[in-house]
Amino acid sequence: MVIFRKKFKEGSFTVEEREYSLEWMLEKTHLGWIVSGRVKGKPGRLEMVRFDIPKRLLINNWQSWGPCKPVDGDFRLSGIKDLVKENVETLNIFSPVPDLLEGNILSDYFIVWDGGLLGFLTSEIAHPFFVTEGTEMVGYLDFFETTFEDWVPLEKLLILEGSPVELLLEIYADSVKKESEPEIPVWNPVGWCSWYQYFGDLKWSDVEKNLNLAREFPFEVFQIDDAYEKDIGDWLETKEGFPSLEHMAESIRERGYKAGIWLAPFSVSETSSVFREHRDWLVKENGVPKVAYKNWGKKIYALDLTNEDVLSWLTDLFRNLKKAGFDYFKIDFLFAGAIPGVRKKNVTPIQAYREGMKIIRKVLGSSFILGCGAPLLPSVGFVDGMRIGEDTAPFWNFDMPDIGFPNAYHALRNTLMRSFMHRKFWLNDPDCLILRHEDVNLTLDMRKMYAYVSGALDNMLIESDDLSKVDSEGKGILLESISMRGGKSKVRGVLDGERFIIETEGSNTGNLKIFANLSRDVWEVEGYKVPAASSLIFKDERRKLTRRTEQRADGRLFHYYQEGDES
Amino acid sequence: MEMRYNPLTDEWVMISSRRQGRPLSGACPLCPGGDELPEDYDLVSFENRFPALRRDPPSVENTGSEILKNALSRGVCEVIVYTSDHNTALPRMSANQIEKLIYMWVDRTKELSKYDFVKYIFIFENRGKEVGATISHPHGQLYAFPFIPKRIQVKLDSMRKWFEKRRKCVICEVIEEELKRKERIIFENDSFISLVPYYARFPYEAHIYPKRHVDSLLGLSGEEIKDLSITLKVVTAKYDKLFEQEFPYMMMLFQSPVNYENVSHFFHFHIEIDPPKRDKDKMKWMASVETGTWSFINPSVPEESAKALREVEVEECL
Repeated sequence: MVIFRKKFKEGSFTVEEREYSLEWMLEKTHLGWIVSGRVKGKPGRLEMVRFDIPKRLLINNWQSWGPCKPVDGDFRLSGIKDLVKENVETLNIFSPVPDLLEGNILSDYFIVWDGGLLGFLTSEIAHPFFVTEGTEMVGYLDFFETTFEDWVPLEKLLILEGSPVELLLEIYADSVKKESEPEIPVWNPVGWCSWYQYFGDLKWSDVEKNLNLAREFPFEVFQIDDAYEKDIGDWLETKEGFPSLEHMAESIRERGYKAGIWLAPFSVSETSSVFREHRDWLVKENGVPKVAYKNWGKKIYALDLTNEDVLSWLTDLFRNLKKAGFDYFKIDFLFAGAIPGVRKKNVTPIQAYREGMKIIRKVLGSSFILGCGAPLLPSVGFVDGMRIGEDTAPFWNFDMPDIGFPNAYHALRNTLMRSFMHRKFWLNDPDCLILRHEDVNLTLDMRKMYAYVSGALDNMLIESDDLSKVDSEGKGILLESISMRGGKSKVRGVLDGERFIIETEGSNTGNLKIFANLSRDVWEVEGYKVPAASSLIFKDERRKLTRRTEQRADGRLFHYYQEGDES
Repeated sequence: MEMRYNPLTDEWVMISSRRQGRPLSGACPLCPGGDELPEDYDLVSFENRFPALRRDPPSVENTGSEILKNALSRGVCEVIVYTSDHNTALPRMSANQIEKLIYMWVDRTKELSKYDFVKYIFIFENRGKEVGATISHPHGQLYAFPFIPKRIQVKLDSMRKWFEKRRKCVICEVIEEELKRKERIIFENDSFISLVPYYARFPYEAHIYPKRHVDSLLGLSGEEIKDLSITLKVVTAKYDKLFEQEFPYMMMLFQSPVNYENVSHFFHFHIEIDPPKRDKDKMKWMASVETGTWSFINPSVPEESAKALREVEVEECL
């Protein structure tokens, strides 16, 4: 392994190049080393580390929907341009360095293999990634076209060796947490979301119907997803058939739920009033607004988050949504804020993205923020929860391309692969549970596995169903998965990618062991046969002790315990 | 009430002058109907009337000095009452009641770890006047510290160092070795082993280790909790029977820190029982060497203490 083209050696070093100056050091840390330093000038795409490609490795995409999966060392991605066809802009979804996707292994932020891990601890200025070059893998920090007059810190690189993959990922996650010290919320939401039943066809009457049915479910938050808004970018005006935002929030709150709303705050569509009135607010390329991606049958542009007027608009937007009564915000398609392009200020796309996130966090204060479609490392510290996989779906497809398309199979796979991020980066959102027995192409085993794995991993639990289609079995699965939260989990099988052993200690229902078989074949493990796309769960037998707490006049708390379900 | 920083040893000291006012006699405050617990109960844990740390500590005066540093005494001190029966103790309690006590320890650990200011939850029992117990009703205590106490830090550093060198947990390796040698084992069942450690500091010091690698009470299975209840009963009963008295001890539970970095791969949950006596009527004092240097002189041979305790027969259950 070489670091900044030098033989691997502890110590401090300096590099003077025509375009930039670099100072860096390699120090020992728990089970490995850490590379840190600073840079000045125009470093561009800066090579940091070079090493032989491992035989099998876990790779990671930069944002929520992208795959986190194991591949063999000789894997190379091919055909991605065919998949996106004429929508080349869609490649921005998959990478801020889309030119490197085809024909390579590209892994953002970290890679891990049996006995080793390389992981960047932050992405505050540069975009860190690893890419194959011949028989080698090279770790880069991409500073894009930005020139730095003063020294800026390098994103630190952690190098670990000699332990099982699962432990290396845990230590990596801990190191990320230590570096950024994100506040992890105590409240781990259970709720309802409109998307996976109604998608873009949601009507206000659907919301009202489900609000009335929800009292039989243990929801704490009720979140309206995409469909209510007039246009992408015009968030404060509701579509025909929907009441005002204030009325929507009040209808939810009066039933005792936290009111939740979806929006894509860094995106504006070509038909929105923001686009029409403020073209100067958009990220540009060759002097004209750059298409960030296409969706909703429209071209979507990205807001330039270095523009003070845009930041004021964002401040007002979230202030107004909060004033309307919303207290839970699912902010989506966030990658748009970080696409490469020309902005008002000389900063990297990552710095620009973080400016936008900083404003949202500041305005929303203690409200719950769920990130989605988001660059992962740059979001640490700004969100309470984070989607860590592809969109789920009311179907399970083994054969779909693994590039972030909605699919319960890939969504659950990512939930397991990125489980180590939970309570270290944020609360993991495995995406919604689908528990209805109609309008769904998921077997009961699949629905159960999705819910129980999400519960055992202590993840957020948001259900997305027409609640009139959820029978007592579906309700039972939700209650069961809630009872499985509260513990600490270890997930084995990340280098297999389809067969996982989850061991959870200290959940609310005791210790758990789950064999989760995501594959299309029967899995024989520890003397058991786990059918395809199914799971086996083993629960610890625990005695039930109930607690009753009272506070005395002097303020002291007294906790009385006795055996049984109720005191 | 405040915490003061000792720059000579890099540790925090808890200043709590109100503790001097603790009641030393009178009716048992822990019996049902007593000062603290007017109604009947099975088990209870409550915030100490005279705590060294409080959830809502009083403000502290700024010392105006860069040298003399202080901080709020933010934490929790609880009294853990094992049973409403005054006339019992761990050795005589049913394994069933001890099992419930462990479930209570688990719940207290889980609940208190939700306070982000809590970094370390230390559960302990001082038994006997020799170690300062003023109330004979069976009870222990817990301190939810806002910092990692010094000796815990030493344990963490040592266990981390061992793991870095050997890529194995030190206690897992000690258990493997002790099971092979069988020289210092006092008692074992499917889930736990109790022994006088090779490195015992006190005469008759006993350690209890879960055989499976687990870093805190929260990770114990139902079966392991049952086995731990039997182990605690047996080991403490062996002391009483060997010395024909209610043998005093300090029992301390060492779990991994909370709201802290992950140490679960190298930290192994364990219990230490340190009796302050070296014989029926003789004290082993924490004197100058022990207190001043943290170096211990053990006047007994651990293998002999282990043999004596091992050979005492006591009932295991109910």
